[in-house]
Amino acid sequence: MFIQQLINGLTLGSIYALFALGYTMVYGVLLMINFAHSEIFMLGAYCGLGMLCVLPMAASGPAMFAVFAAAMFGSGAVAMLVERVAYRPLRHAPRLSPLISAIGISIFLQNLIMLTVGAQSMPYPEKFPIRQFEFWGVTLSTLQIFIFFLAVILMLLLNLFLRKTKMGKAMQATAQNHLVSQLMGINVNTIIALTFFVGGGLGGAAGVLNGLYYGSIKYNMGFFPGIKAFTAAVLGGVGNIKGAMAGGFILGILEVFAAGYLSSEYKDVIAFVVLIVVLIIKPGGLFGEQVTEKI
Amino acid sequence: MPGELLAIRDATKYFGGLEAVSGVTLQVADGEVLGLIGPNGAGKSTLFNLITGVYAPDRGEVRFKNRKISGCKPHQVVAAGIARTFQNIRLFANMTALENVMIGRHVRTRSELAEALLRTPGFKQEEKAIQDYARSVLDLVGLLKAGNDLVKNLAYGDQRRIEIARALATEPSLLLLDEPTAGMNPTESAEVMGLMGVIKRKGIAIIVIEHQMDVVMNISDRVAVLDYGKKICEGSPFEVQKDPKVIEAYLGA
Amino acid sequence: MKLPISKPYLMSGVLLLLLVWPFLWGGDNAYALYIACLIGIYTILCLGLNITIGYTGLLDLGFMAFYAIGAYTAAILSIHGVSFWLTLPVCVLVGGGVRYLLGLPVLKLRGDYLAIVTLAFGEIVRLVANNTVGLTNGPKGLPRVGEKISEIRLFGWSLNDTIHFYYLILAFVLLAVLVSHRLEHSRLGRAFVAIREDELAAELSGIHVARVKSVAFVISGMFGALAGAIYAHWIGFVSPEMFTFWESVFLVAMIVVGGMGNIGGVVLGVILLVGVPEILRSTLGAKFVDYRMLVFGVVMVAVIIFRPQGLIPSKRRSLELHTPEAE
Repeated sequence: MFIQQLINGLTLGSIYALFALGYTMVYGVLLMINFAHSEIFMLGAYCGLGMLCVLPMAASGPAMFAVFAAAMFGSGAVAMLVERVAYRPLRHAPRLSPLISAIGISIFLQNLIMLTVGAQSMPYPEKFPIRQFEFWGVTLSTLQIFIFFLAVILMLLLNLFLRKTKMGKAMQATAQNHLVSQLMGINVNTIIALTFFVGGGLGGAAGVLNGLYYGSIKYNMGFFPGIKAFTAAVLGGVGNIKGAMAGGFILGILEVFAAGYLSSEYKDVIAFVVLIVVLIIKPGGLFGEQVTEKI
Repeated sequence: MPGELLAIRDATKYFGGLEAVSGVTLQVADGEVLGLIGPNGAGKSTLFNLITGVYAPDRGEVRFKNRKISGCKPHQVVAAGIARTFQNIRLFANMTALENVMIGRHVRTRSELAEALLRTPGFKQEEKAIQDYARSVLDLVGLLKAGNDLVKNLAYGDQRRIEIARALATEPSLLLLDEPTAGMNPTESAEVMGLMGVIKRKGIAIIVIEHQMDVVMNISDRVAVLDYGKKICEGSPFEVQKDPKVIEAYLGA
Repeated sequence: MKLPISKPYLMSGVLLLLLVWPFLWGGDNAYALYIACLIGIYTILCLGLNITIGYTGLLDLGFMAFYAIGAYTAAILSIHGVSFWLTLPVCVLVGGGVRYLLGLPVLKLRGDYLAIVTLAFGEIVRLVANNTVGLTNGPKGLPRVGEKISEIRLFGWSLNDTIHFYYLILAFVLLAVLVSHRLEHSRLGRAFVAIREDELAAELSGIHVARVKSVAFVISGMFGALAGAIYAHWIGFVSPEMFTFWESVFLVAMIVVGGMGNIGGVVLGVILLVGVPEILRSTLGAKFVDYRMLVFGVVMVAVIIFRPQGLIPSKRRSLELHTPEAE
C-alpha cells in the first residue's frame, strides 16, 4: 500500500513539477503570478491530442516525439503571445493589474476551447500498449515509468539550458535584475518572451502527460492541477526552479497519500490547505530565504 | 540629560551578515535640530527605520520621552510623537493634497465605524476639525491652493512639502526628514530650509538626513556623522567640518 | 465628467425610477423584475467586495465564499423555522466572524499572495459544502425534499411574490449604497484608500494598518453574507455550484470594468455584466450565453490595459479650501 501510493505520488508529482516550472520561471523574471498558465497546460494537452489523431502510424518513438513537440511548441507559442498582448503593456502598472489581466486571458482561453472544440471531455487515445508490472503486491505501469522519466529528462534539459547556454544564463541574470541585465546588453523583452516560451512549453508537456495518465481531457482541466502546481511552486519558494521541482513531487505524494489515507473527496482541499498554510507560515517556501522590502 | 527627547543606545541592525547600523548611540534634545550625514550606504535611512519601528534593532534600544519605543509598531511610534518623510517620496498618489494631510490626523482622532455610519454630531465635528487642521498645515507649507489637486499631479518640490505637511499633521515632537531637498533646485532648497526654520520655531525637534552641506551646516544645532553603520563623529557643525575622520570618510581614503 | 444636472436631482430621479420600475412593465413583469432583483443582489455583493478591492486595494478571488456562508446559514436556519428577521443578523454576524478569523492570518500577506489564498479559501468553502452532506445535503443542495425555506413575514404579510422581493432587495441595495458612501467619506474610509495607495506610508503616517484592513475585510464579508441570505430566501434554493471560483472572478470583473472604488462605477459594472447579458439572452437566445464568458475575458484584459480606472473612475471629493480663521 505504502509503496504503491509512493509510486502513484511520484507519477503525479512529476506532472506537477513540470507544470510548476512555468509558474516559478515567470515569477522569477516578472514577479507576477501567471494565472493563465493553467490554460497553457490545457492547450498543450489539446495540441498533443490533435497530433495523436492526425498521425497515422501506431505507437513509435518518432510519433511520441511529434506529439510532445506539437504540444510544447503550441503551448510555448501561445504563452509567448499572451505575454506580448496581455502582460507586457502592464509591466509598470500596479502589481495586481497583470494578475487581473491573466485571469481575463484564462477565461478567454478556456471558453475558446469550449466553444471551438467542445464542452465535453475527450478521450486520450492509447497509442502504445501499456504493460503492468506486479511485484510485492505493487502495480507499476509502463505509462508511469514513461511519465516519470520524461518529466525528469525535461527538467534535466532545462537545468542544462539554464546553466550552459548563453540564453539560459541571460534568463537567470534577468530574474536577478532587469536594469542591470539591460545594461549588460541583454534584451530583456526577448528574454522574458523566451521565459514564457520555455515555461509554457514545459507546461504543455505536462498537459500531455496529464492527458495520457488520466485518459481524457477537458477544456477546464487546467484549474485544479494549476492550483496544485502553483502550490508546488510556492512550496519550493516562488522563483526557485529546483524548489519548484521538489515542491511538485512533495505535493503529488502528499495528495495521493491524503486521498488514500484520509478521504478522496478532500484530496483537492489538501492542496488548498497546504497552499494557505505555507503562504502564511513560510511565504518564502521550504528552501527560500525571507526577503525584506527595501525602503 | 535634561530636556532629552530621543535617546538611542547601542542600536544595531544586521542585514544578513552586514551590519547596516552598528552600535549607534545618539541623543536629541527637545526642539533641537540634528543633522545626520554620511556617505551613501552609511546606514542613515536604516537608523530612521529603527527609530520609526519599521525594523526592530537586533541590539540596543530606542527611547523616546523616557519610554522605550524600539519594538513598537510604526503607528504606535507615530502616536508617541515621531513623524517622518521618505527618501523616495511616498505619498498617496491618487488622493488630493488635502486628503494626504488629513491622513496625518488619523492618529490624533478617534471616530470609528459606528460614528461614520451613523454620522453622529461628534463625527461631524471631528471631521470638520480634521479638515481645519489639515488646511492650516497645508497653509503653513504654502500649498493651500493646491489642496484639491491629486498629489501625483503636483510638482516634485511640492510633493516633498506635502509629505512634510502630512508628517506635521500628526503633531510630532520629533520630525525625521530623509533628504528633504534631494533633487531640488537652489530656490526650492531654500524654501525647504525656511520651512525647517518655521518648524523649529514651533518647538519641534528635527533629525535631518542631508547631502547638501550648506543646508546641514546652516540649519543644524548639532551634526552626527555615520560611516559604515558606525557613528564616527558628533558635534557642532563647525567641529564636524574640521574633523579629519569626517573628511576621510567623505573623500574615501 | 460633468453631469448636466446636479447630483441630488439625479439621485432623486434614479430613486423614483427604481420605485416605479415594476409598474413600467405591465405585461412582461416577472422577467423584468427577476433581472432587477438579480442586479440588486449582485450590487450588494459587489459593493461589499468593492470595500476590499476598490477602497483598500486587497484583491479577493474567493468572495463567493461569504455569499455561500450567508446563503447556507440562512437556508439551514430558515428550514428550521427561524424568522428571516432573526436569520438575517445571524448570517451577517457569521459572515463577518468567519471573515475576521480568515483575515487574522491572511491579511499580512502581500497582494498577489492574498489573492491566491482567498481563492483557496473560496474553493475550500465550496468543497466543504459539497462534501458535508449531513449539514448541506452536498451537491443536491438545500432544502432537501420535503423541506422548505420559510417565507419572509413583514407586518403580518408574507413576501412570496417577486415584486415583494424587488422592494426588499431595493431597500437593502439603498442601505448598502448608504453604508458605502458614508464609509468612503470618513476617517476610516480615507485610511482604507491610504492603505491601497501605499501601505507602508500609511502605517508610518499613524494608521494601524492591520486593524483597519481587518475592519474593511470584515465589513465586506458582512455584505457578502447579507446578499447570500436574501438570495437564499428569494430563490428558495442553495447548492455548492452557485459559488464557484469563476463566480468570484465574475464579481471582480464587474468592479474592474465599472470602476474600482466608485459606487456608481460598481453599479454600472453590475448592470453591464449581469443585466445586459440577461437581456441579450432573452432577445438573442441561449446561444449567446456561450459567448458571454469569452467576451468577458477579452473585456477584462482590455479594460485593465486601456482603462485601468474602469468606466467610471473613482474621483476624489473636492473640499472647502478657505483659509481657516486665524488662531
